[in-house]
Amino acid sequence: MTLQQILFIVISLVVLGSAVLVVTTRNLFHAALFLVVSFFGVAGFYVLLDAGFFAAAQVLVYIGAISILFIFAVMLTRDVITAQRGNSQWQAAAIVAGVIFLIMALLLGPFSVTIRGREFGNANWPFAMDGNAIKAAPGNFVGILGTGLVDLNQYGVPFLLAAVLLLVAMVGAIWVARELRGREAERAAAETAVDDADMDANQPVQEPLPLIETETHEAHDSRNAAATEKH
Amino acid sequence: MTVFEVINNILKIVGDAVAAFIISILGAGGLADFVIMLLAALIICSICAVAFMGLTYAERKIVARIQDRIGPNQAGPYGLLQPIADGIKMFTKEDTTPAEADRWVYNLAPLVIAVFALLTYAVIPFAPGVVGTNLNIGVFYVIAVGSGSTVAILMAGWGSNNKYSLLGAFRTVAQLVGYEVPMLLNVLPVVMLAGSMSLVDIVERQTLSNGGNGIPFILMAPLSALIFLISGIAETGRSPFDLLEAESEIVAGFHVEYSGMKFALFFLGEYVNALAVSIMFTVLFLGGYAGPILPPYVWLLLKVAAVFTLLMWLRGTLPRVRVDQLMSFNWKFLVPMSIVNVILVMVIGKVFVADAVLAQSNGGIAVPPIVQALILFTSSIALLLASLLLVARQARQLRLVEAEDIEKRVAQNKVAAAKVVAQ
Amino acid sequence: MRTDFAFVAVMMLAAVLLMGFALVGASILRPKKPSKAKLETYECGMETVGDAWVQFRVQYYIFALIFVLFDVGGIFLFPFAVAYNSLPLYAIVIVILFILTLLGSLLYAWRKGVLQWD
Repeated sequence: MTLQQILFIVISLVVLGSAVLVVTTRNLFHAALFLVVSFFGVAGFYVLLDAGFFAAAQVLVYIGAISILFIFAVMLTRDVITAQRGNSQWQAAAIVAGVIFLIMALLLGPFSVTIRGREFGNANWPFAMDGNAIKAAPGNFVGILGTGLVDLNQYGVPFLLAAVLLLVAMVGAIWVARELRGREAERAAAETAVDDADMDANQPVQEPLPLIETETHEAHDSRNAAATEKH
Repeated sequence: MTVFEVINNILKIVGDAVAAFIISILGAGGLADFVIMLLAALIICSICAVAFMGLTYAERKIVARIQDRIGPNQAGPYGLLQPIADGIKMFTKEDTTPAEADRWVYNLAPLVIAVFALLTYAVIPFAPGVVGTNLNIGVFYVIAVGSGSTVAILMAGWGSNNKYSLLGAFRTVAQLVGYEVPMLLNVLPVVMLAGSMSLVDIVERQTLSNGGNGIPFILMAPLSALIFLISGIAETGRSPFDLLEAESEIVAGFHVEYSGMKFALFFLGEYVNALAVSIMFTVLFLGGYAGPILPPYVWLLLKVAAVFTLLMWLRGTLPRVRVDQLMSFNWKFLVPMSIVNVILVMVIGKVFVADAVLAQSNGGIAVPPIVQALILFTSSIALLLASLLLVARQARQLRLVEAEDIEKRVAQNKVAAAKVVAQ
Repeated sequence: MRTDFAFVAVMMLAAVLLMGFALVGASILRPKKPSKAKLETYECGMETVGDAWVQFRVQYYIFALIFVLFDVGGIFLFPFAVAYNSLPLYAIVIVILFILTLLGSLLYAWRKGVLQWD
């Protein structure tokens, strides 16, 4: 076994182990942390595949951004530690995940299946954008990627579509945020309403308070000023 | 032969001797390579740790002078032994873990933060040929590793099970991730001008020796340099962006509960990161180790010291900003300006091409590098001035509205006061 | 490339070793006399009420989301920046379109008042 194979097996075990822990841990925050470990392992895979740029991008996006997003989302829920998270539909979810895994393996793996004379999958894996160019200049993988991204004959259109996708994501995020914010405001209003009701019950007779604290101070000051002016 | 060459040769001889010794014991092969690499990595990490001790002293002394104090002066002459005293204290101080803490997360957080801070130094070129590893994605790697510390901060905040900690961690992370965007966007012009992400290539492009034109990138992209420095300061959470440890508001932020060695590791992470930002600024914009007469590492040291002194100066003089100001400054000023700046550099660099052959093949006007640099410099400064003017006008309008509001309220109060007096 | 990253892994190992050494050394040297009062959660002299693990505001989540979008957008630009010198002029137009779309999404968020921290 070569060193690379040993590393691959070790990293795979780490990734799969932490992935299992993500779904079995009760504590949502711990689940998010195990997810980070899993992401880190995937970055290791990219390094083994000679794709250093993607490894760094994996760390930057998934560990530096997505996991932060997850943790913030976790903190939006009320019961991070104790909540009961049974899912009655887990069998259906497992079946769907299995089917998707098979399709992905077929599409990306180095084998194909022939059904009724039609070939599904690609036996010539991996398919690179410009395999020969990368073989010719293995160090300049990122440059070739960049040239391909802005070339309309290669990946120019998907590149622009990615920008549109980001825009749509932004619009969607703001939409969701408004709804959540509205709910937050509602809850806050409800809580103050409850407080007010309590207050009313305890102290039925109450003078209306001045609106803002500072205003009363200012009024006080200006009254003093007026008084000194009189003297 | 100058003194520096003698030192250079001695270092080279010692290094070769150590490598030969290791190979003679383990035999040439993977294991010997591994041990040599481990040794090199340990040396880099130790240098960082020593630099951390030196920096704490220098910063305390210099900031004290700026603020008209004396600073550490008891331990040793001029307080020079202060870092060692601090080290002894950190080693022997009792270390408490709150009973309510999430133990594993709490104890792992300082380790993770220190390791991520040290990882940056794996790619930094200290002198020609002296670099941990010359990754072809160098800059990108540094930014990626820098973003990893956010998770550690959240771990610390969560693990402590303390309201101050968690609030501090959340604030910190919101700040760190926000200022990562302008950082990312302002590295782009440098990468475009150098045509590579490797830090060694970027430095070489700014020297006269290997295909470079000797113009530091700060002259070609001054606006990028400025925003990079600002966002770098914010990324390391130093004053005036030190909301994360606003002592008066959230006591010390995410590391309230930490004491002893774990606290020291957080501090180490902070200083090592600040040093990394100074070094990155030097490498990206000031030409790294490039310079005449003096040997490369002395130049690097001088430049880094100058940038770090600037950071200390800012820390000693500026007041802390408010959290909403911090956010607005980033998202409403730095990010849009960075985006426009990237477009500007991109277009100018393509229209006025410094390389005659490239100008022929890709279109564009061929100009000497110095002219290209001049055009880039002027347009960047023009963009900066224009955006500052725009912001100043907006701010004046806001102030006027506020002043009007205050006047109105004062008038209302006077009426109210008159009523009270009448009663 | 792969071998370039070997040093990064070794560096990680070295950092963990060194920092672990410091932590273990400190744990041997330091006194250990915990008491109930020492182990309490730090607050202004009062006992803490409940866990710190409480619900947080939506705002943090929104800012993180915006950050993710710009992060991804920025990463798309890096390969282009590396290839920049050898690209023809018209390629720049595509990238400018890309960046302007990003700027547009930022301006949209601004107009919707999401960038206001309160």
